[in-house]
Amino acid sequence: MVAADFIEQLLNGLTLGMVYVLLAAGLSVIFGVMDVINFSHGELFALGAYFSLSIIAPFGAGTGFWIAIVVAPVAVGLIGAAIERTTVRPLYGRDPLYHILLTFGLVLVINDGIRLIWGTQQRQLAVPEYLSRPVSILGVQVSVYNYFMIVFAALLAVVTWYLLNRTKYGMIIRAGSQDREMVRNVGIDIDQYYTLVFGVGAALAAVAGIVLGGYQNVNTGMGNSVIIPAFVVVVLGGLGSFRGAVFGGLLVGVVQTLMRAYNGSVVATVGDVTLSVPNLEGLTVYLLMIAVLLVKPQGLFGTRGEESESEGEILVGGYGGVLADSTRVRLGGIAVVALALAPLAILFMGDQYYLVVLNEILIWAIFALSLDIVMGYAGLVPLGHTMFYGVGAYTAALVMLHYSQSVFVVLLGAILICAVLAWIVGSLSIRVSGVYFAMITLAFAELLYSAVFKFDFTGGSDGLLGFEAFLGFGTIGASLSNIEFGLLGYELGQQFVFYYLALLIAVLSLLFARRMMNAPFGSVLQSIRESEERAEFIGYDVNRYKRRAFVISGGMAGLAGGLLAVSPSTVIISPDQTLNWIHSGEVIVIALFGGMGTLYGPMIGSGVFFGAEEFLSSYTDQWRLIIGTMFILFVLFVPRGIVSIPSLVAQRLETANNADGPVDMDEPEVRSDD
Amino acid sequence: MTETVLETDGLTKRFGKLTAVDDVSLSVADGEFRSVIGPNGAGKTTTFNLITGALSPSAGVVRFKGEDITDVAPHERVGRGLGRSFQITNVFGGLTVRENVRLAAQSVHSDDINPGEALFRDKNGFDEIAEQTGTVLEQIGLQDRADEHAEALAYGDQRRLELGLVLATDPDLVMLDEPTAGMSSEETQATMNLIDEVLSDRSLMLIEHDIDLVMRVSDRITVLTRGEELASGTPDEIANNEDVRDAYLGGVRE
Repeated sequence: MVAADFIEQLLNGLTLGMVYVLLAAGLSVIFGVMDVINFSHGELFALGAYFSLSIIAPFGAGTGFWIAIVVAPVAVGLIGAAIERTTVRPLYGRDPLYHILLTFGLVLVINDGIRLIWGTQQRQLAVPEYLSRPVSILGVQVSVYNYFMIVFAALLAVVTWYLLNRTKYGMIIRAGSQDREMVRNVGIDIDQYYTLVFGVGAALAAVAGIVLGGYQNVNTGMGNSVIIPAFVVVVLGGLGSFRGAVFGGLLVGVVQTLMRAYNGSVVATVGDVTLSVPNLEGLTVYLLMIAVLLVKPQGLFGTRGEESESEGEILVGGYGGVLADSTRVRLGGIAVVALALAPLAILFMGDQYYLVVLNEILIWAIFALSLDIVMGYAGLVPLGHTMFYGVGAYTAALVMLHYSQSVFVVLLGAILICAVLAWIVGSLSIRVSGVYFAMITLAFAELLYSAVFKFDFTGGSDGLLGFEAFLGFGTIGASLSNIEFGLLGYELGQQFVFYYLALLIAVLSLLFARRMMNAPFGSVLQSIRESEERAEFIGYDVNRYKRRAFVISGGMAGLAGGLLAVSPSTVIISPDQTLNWIHSGEVIVIALFGGMGTLYGPMIGSGVFFGAEEFLSSYTDQWRLIIGTMFILFVLFVPRGIVSIPSLVAQRLETANNADGPVDMDEPEVRSDD
Repeated sequence: MTETVLETDGLTKRFGKLTAVDDVSLSVADGEFRSVIGPNGAGKTTTFNLITGALSPSAGVVRFKGEDITDVAPHERVGRGLGRSFQITNVFGGLTVRENVRLAAQSVHSDDINPGEALFRDKNGFDEIAEQTGTVLEQIGLQDRADEHAEALAYGDQRRLELGLVLATDPDLVMLDEPTAGMSSEETQATMNLIDEVLSDRSLMLIEHDIDLVMRVSDRITVLTRGEELASGTPDEIANNEDVRDAYLGGVRE
């Protein structure tokens, strides 16, 4: 029964689609009204499922499920409202980038909280027996639960639609998502509604979590697995559009399910030609998203013009610091000398593991520096920067496996391939700006992430292994693993050699970037960050400069990825280790943490991030929770990053002396030209 | 008859059902100081944006120095000698005054900078650019404040810098969008003097609503109402034009 089979798959698609609708509705309205890109939405979704587990346990599936589906969303809604009040609220008016950082911190905190309370084991959410029974209608056999999910979610969607379209509150919220300023101008305090919107959005996400939890299972990765598809839905439908969220959700759910079910199967045979569904499972939705963003950036149902986007300022670790130029150069020199001597100290302490950590820090320092070039200097915020890190790593591994093991050839290959990739992605995406640019780069990164699973030459989900780097050209040189020599009775191995290679490349990268920012090209990038329109009207082709910056940045990120593959601690290059969107988030966090627009700030950020991770994880399993909390505090109170702390402290002291009242946190800035 | 520097032919811009600019054909002679006035919503700023390239017209042609530039990108128009200032001060606030001007000067010379130099040579190491920067700073009288951040300047000085940015791109025609908006009468006078001083050898097109100012400084004036050209002529001709008095001056000027 081909038709029945198809309808069954269609029903499965609609079921999944309904979950996306519930998720995307909240996400979309939250973005529309508040300009907040809420990455923690997925974790609120998971939280809904976990709350239900605890609620159902004492009551049993029969009644517990129905109690849970009411109580858990309310609880999550309250948490959402509390989150808005305490953390999101202070950030309105700033660039959406800060919401990304903040909600990324929330992801870490909530996710780790879940691990702490419920453990990491996969759990089954008990649903009433009469719901889980299979039922056959017209030869189509699916579980009653499918119908329940579709009907229940549709009901909620209709209620939400009614509230948005037929009530006074809904009208104001919708008006706010069209033009917030106008709503303020007619005398309505739109800010009051933000808490409500955030809370209801969180509650809807929680409902989605419960129904999906009952359909599949409940695990700590469930938030992570739905958040990116949910973003795809929101972008497809149009940011801020409820209708778009419904349409996009169903579309993505159905397309995903059908592509999975009919993956590679033969549709028809015409003579000698066999027509089959292309093997594009997982890729389709991202291709769809890229296509929509290119043709109609505001999404299928979006009405907001790009110009109505009021973007706040990106707070760079700017200028006017407390340290003199010469002091900075001296400090930089001292830092390099200290790093150069660090391995010796580690040698005496006898624990070479610290060297592995230092190597990771150096690789990520280069990666974060590459991001800073586009984010801190050209004002572009890519949410998919890890695509270059990942492609660089894959390229390096492939070059080592098939072509040459020479470190220099390998790294050069990684840089070139990533520069070309950046040129292609940049050419397509730089014409859309702001959030749309962030989203389209995310789509490209996800596309590549899904693609490496598909191909044999990238090793599928296992990744690549069995490669080794060779320090030198041709036959002159040595394999990293063969390098071992003694010094003062200590044995020095490949980790040492790699460390100095990475340190050298990191220092050269910093010097390169610094030189570039003080040259004509870099100066134009900074003018673009200050005012894109003005730069255009003194005669600069803004998009061309951005594209070139993106190419340079992509090449440098590729270099970092290449180094990862070369590193002796790396045995396998796998999709999750390199191309997972989490790394795009992490690198933004690191750059902001250190101080954007300063070059050295993001590199310091890398050191602090991985240093803190190592330090904390040796004391507690909940290190993500602590790091996440740290980010949240940073984004709220030290938005210009670690490098702004000296001037922040100086200003505090000054203010304390003058007794001039509280300090404005946004004020302190440090020099950018170092 | 002097040469024509700017010419529009049947310039029209429609936003949905609204026709903001309707079949406007202007011609600005080389060296002329032309002003465009009109009540709010007359299409002044839209006309301005069509000429600078910030908007593309629904119909019509823009010719600059005899070449059709209707489809030329804004930055390319600047490169050909069509400069503009902004109504709301738009300078690079986080950069120094000198760097602001230097960037504008660099833009004119970017063809002389090869890719290697663009990436690696010290931006202050280009003699021609540095020289031009120094000259412009002197002309706008901000040489003493060159190392301050632009955002630290007083409003009037920011307007001067704004003009300096235009000047540094060495334009043949400068489009000025209400350069004295929000200024006191002394500041207005100073700015007009400055314009006279530093831009007098270039063709100028001024978008303005201050009629007295326009009458004083312009060679010729174009009056727009509801997107259409009502009249063009010398200040005297405009002051005595019946249509203009009815439609715009409303009999206030006797």
